[in-house]
Amino acid sequence: MHVDNLPAGGTAPPDTDTGPAGRPPVVTARGVTKTYGRTRALTGVDLEVRAGEVLGLVGHNGAGKSTLMRVLAGLEPCDAGTVLVHGAKASAGDFRTVRMAYQETSLCPDLTVAENMWVSSRHCLPRLRWRRAASDAVGRRLDEMFPGHGVSPRDRVEDLSLARRQMVEIARACLVDRLDLLILDEPTESLGPDAARSLYAYVRRLTEAGTAVLLISHRIREVLSVADRVAVLRDGAVTAERPASGLSEPDVLGLMGAHVAAAPTFGAPAAAGTAARETVAELLGATGPGLREVTLRVGRGEVVGLAGLAGQGQQEVLERLWRPVRRDTTVGVSRAYVPGDRQRSGVLPLWSVGDNLIVTALRGIARRGLRRPAEERAVVADWVKRLSIRGGAEAGITELSGGNQQKVIVARAFASPAGLVLLDDPFRGVDVHTKTDLYGLIRQEAAKGRSVVWYSSENAEMAHCDRVYVFRAGRVVAELTGEEISEERIIGVSFAEKGEDD
Amino acid sequence: MNIRVAGPRSWSGPRNGAPWVWGFAAAALVWLVILVISGQGGGQTVSLALSLAPYLVIVGLGQMLVVTAGPGNIDVSVSSIISLAGFVSVAAASATGSAAVGILAGIGVGVLVAAVSTVAILGLSVPPIIATLAAGLVASSITLSTANGFTAVPDAGLRAALNLRPAGVPVLALAIAVLTVLVAALLRRTVYGRSLVAVGQNRRAAERAGVPVARVTATTYLLSGALAGLTGALLAAYIAPSADLGTRYLLDSVAVVVIGGTLISGGRAVPVGVWGAALFFILLDGLVNLVGWSTAAQNLLKGGLVLFVLFLAGGGDRSGGLASLFRRRPRPAAATTTTTITGDDTDG
Repeated sequence: MHVDNLPAGGTAPPDTDTGPAGRPPVVTARGVTKTYGRTRALTGVDLEVRAGEVLGLVGHNGAGKSTLMRVLAGLEPCDAGTVLVHGAKASAGDFRTVRMAYQETSLCPDLTVAENMWVSSRHCLPRLRWRRAASDAVGRRLDEMFPGHGVSPRDRVEDLSLARRQMVEIARACLVDRLDLLILDEPTESLGPDAARSLYAYVRRLTEAGTAVLLISHRIREVLSVADRVAVLRDGAVTAERPASGLSEPDVLGLMGAHVAAAPTFGAPAAAGTAARETVAELLGATGPGLREVTLRVGRGEVVGLAGLAGQGQQEVLERLWRPVRRDTTVGVSRAYVPGDRQRSGVLPLWSVGDNLIVTALRGIARRGLRRPAEERAVVADWVKRLSIRGGAEAGITELSGGNQQKVIVARAFASPAGLVLLDDPFRGVDVHTKTDLYGLIRQEAAKGRSVVWYSSENAEMAHCDRVYVFRAGRVVAELTGEEISEERIIGVSFAEKGEDD
Repeated sequence: MNIRVAGPRSWSGPRNGAPWVWGFAAAALVWLVILVISGQGGGQTVSLALSLAPYLVIVGLGQMLVVTAGPGNIDVSVSSIISLAGFVSVAAASATGSAAVGILAGIGVGVLVAAVSTVAILGLSVPPIIATLAAGLVASSITLSTANGFTAVPDAGLRAALNLRPAGVPVLALAIAVLTVLVAALLRRTVYGRSLVAVGQNRRAAERAGVPVARVTATTYLLSGALAGLTGALLAAYIAPSADLGTRYLLDSVAVVVIGGTLISGGRAVPVGVWGAALFFILLDGLVNLVGWSTAAQNLLKGGLVLFVLFLAGGGDRSGGLASLFRRRPRPAAATTTTTITGDDTDG
């Protein structure tokens, strides 16, 4: 099991001529279909994951990626078709060597890191003194995968940052003695660039030892640089399977069915009017936990970005604007909030799409505390159509894919009459197509006079802002406007003074 | 087995059937048994049950609102409120000679006690069960000091009205049926009702969606207190004020909420279900008395029933209550071992 002694491989793509094409398949799916309620998640998938290869799986949100993974990992039975493990029809025990690291981590927040290991990997831990064994195992694995991770096995998961939680999640999936297939679902969405590099180096070492890796990501470039083969999932079926070498990002986007509109520009914001805009919200020298002397201003109809490395005070600013209780914060308009952590702070799980969408707006629509169903339905129908939310207003929110759920949460905020919309990194793990729709929506709404404050961990998104404040260690270190806003510039400023790691 | 998948099972929408039918079905079953054992007119039994059930329904509706506010929310002060409100309303009615003033006084007492709980819950972040327990204790001690040398008698007019049964149908039952409809409308048609259900499903998400969580929580406890106070006022006029007037209503109010199909983990309220469950409980009392069981045995039976229903409902699992037992769950055969393999997808 110990990969400690394996030669450390680089992230360079393997030589494809001795590639794993001839190796035996680890998991094979044949004609797999799966239906949830009225949503057809998989419509007949044929896929083979071979030993020692990295298979990249790409597709829009709602294409069925998550479902397919669950089926391949033996977590869900398929309605029709078969899943073979090592060429034989799989029974429950066969999936023991297939492990999955989830995008929205599946760790128990109240338990420590070591205790979480016990929850999922009891069978490879001793019955007595398991805590020590689990701590050792996870510590060793984390050291191998993410040198300098800064996680102690005794930390409670709840207290860890999103990035560290993700590290623990991935380490947990790799804890078993024998690993035949590792499924990584958007592993790098919350990891920093360094951690992502370490992860992929580890993935290389795993595949050299004969483990198959299934990598799901919306970051096409990343998939292309790491994977040996790329499979494209579209409307619940695999529509293309190609060797990764020779494919380019536009090729893959084309295969996914995206309209490659060459970095769409939405009437790049008029930088001229910035100074003239009426101020709707302001922080004047705000200081507090995580914030030091932050001064910023939001004008009417302006899209203001909060950039920089994760956890440098951006979310604290959003919190101040959401609940302006301190004197250093003034907000002159009503607000709406779009959380990024949709499972924990977005979705109301017992309700339908329509109910979820209207919950904020219904306050404005109601008269003397009484709802007006006809008006509400009209608003819901309008937004469902505008963002083409799959499943329609009547579907249960949890029947939808993650991306469509996120659309509902975004629509919830914009359907309200709020003058200031706060976005808390809401597009993590959302596919390119949906993102493009939502970027367009933000610009349209800004043009109507709404202000948007937008924190994003993805610097490329900041190009859609009128103005960007770059944060480091709770301070605003730069204010970029119009043409100045670029990924390179933001990264440059974020690290300007020898960025202390984390 | 603690696999909870953020999948389609988490959603129990309108297609999930009617969770309230089970209370009525159980009530009908008990009624049949009574009919067989006693061999007397079943209509009389129903009429009697309908005149006793409304009291339990009123306090149950309040408890339902509280339970709907989400995990951890419960009002254990209802029994103390009922007892205290009984004394206060009788005293107020005999002092002023107006039954209406008496009822309002009862409701007022309930609101006051609930206000104490609310301040403790929201202001001091005391867990609701402790806060309402403490407020209940305060109410109880006031009750005990009031009960000594209490001489006032309930308003005769109100008592007559509560006993009014044209064609065997108690007037009070009709009035409380209207109240139930109003509560159902409150939940479906008002901003407050929607907010409450949202808070109960996911407090954090509701807060981020702009729901004033603290105000909704406060309103809910005050409503529960008011309804408990109303129960006390009516019950004292119907029977007589006493220090243990409300004692049985603590367990019973929680039980009728749960058996009625309201999710114990919050986010789904079933007002009609409270009626079915209350009738079931009243008839069960009748049956147990008919058979000659002791009070202890009755309580054992009721407690067991509540546990049984919670077991069927999955102990606060959001996956659809009673109906889920009878619906084939799309649970993979592999699931029993997947906790040890791939880790479970705990979304809560």
